[in-house]
Amino acid sequence: MADFEEGRLGRIAVIRLRPNEDLVEAVEATCREHGLSHAIVRSAVGSLVDAVLESGETALKVPGPGIEILTLAGEVRPDAEGVPRADLRGTIADGNAKVFGGGFRRGENPICITLELVLQEWLPA
Amino acid sequence: MRTLRQPGAPLQPRRLLEWAAPARDLRVRLAGGQDLLRGLVAALAARDIHHAAVQVLAGEIARMAYLTGAEDPSGARVATYGPPTWLDGPVTLLGANGILGPGPDGDTLLHCHAVVVDARGRLHGGHLPPGDVLLGESGAVALATPLREAAFVASFDSETNYPLFQPTKISL
Repeated sequence: MADFEEGRLGRIAVIRLRPNEDLVEAVEATCREHGLSHAIVRSAVGSLVDAVLESGETALKVPGPGIEILTLAGEVRPDAEGVPRADLRGTIADGNAKVFGGGFRRGENPICITLELVLQEWLPA
Repeated sequence: MRTLRQPGAPLQPRRLLEWAAPARDLRVRLAGGQDLLRGLVAALAARDIHHAAVQVLAGEIARMAYLTGAEDPSGARVATYGPPTWLDGPVTLLGANGILGPGPDGDTLLHCHAVVVDARGRLHGGHLPPGDVLLGESGAVALATPLREAAFVASFDSETNYPLFQPTKISL
């Protein structure tokens, strides 16, 4: 079984998040503030103070500062109330060059120096 | 959630967004034997593209360095880069995200972080320094999304005490 949603890609949002903003909450707030309800991640480069990544039932805490976000993928979609919600996952490296991966837990991934993020709007048909 | 006190006063707004116009993406195949970042910057410049979001889809690397974060002992910034880690190839690039735009001195800069696996199966990743990622024979493949009307342009950021890419309206 599969669900399809036809659509096309629209406007491109060029975004920067400043230090100490939570990755997931700030992406959602940015989308809310600018009327972006559906989007996909096209590229992201940045760092986190500390990170909490989810995989299965595990929440992995990775202490920083200066955790590099290596790759970021995911999408933004509205919840039942129409509020944009971000599902973001990716890979990071800590100060010892150790690599971790998982989903970024809401409220636990503060930006360290910056996040440069490009989202592209998804326009369901 | 721990937050850090930055060297400069917090700047507003905390979240910046500028809208860029949709553009046609470009798949770029880079031949081996050249530097990944410098090769991509030069290839895109030849198509007159100086602002873009970049995803590296594949790459084979003969020799490379990467940087990871560290506390800044001087206290001038909350974090800095540690010494480079060098890897001998063959290294397989698993994924990389990049932002292309004019740097603080006006030269086009590709800010790129990557995750790679070395010849013994160990994962590595970090910030890629330009000039230090030599592609192996099979080269690399990237997808570039040109940014028009708005893009990232570097300028000095007094809060973090770094030159950083900022969303900026551009006349392209």
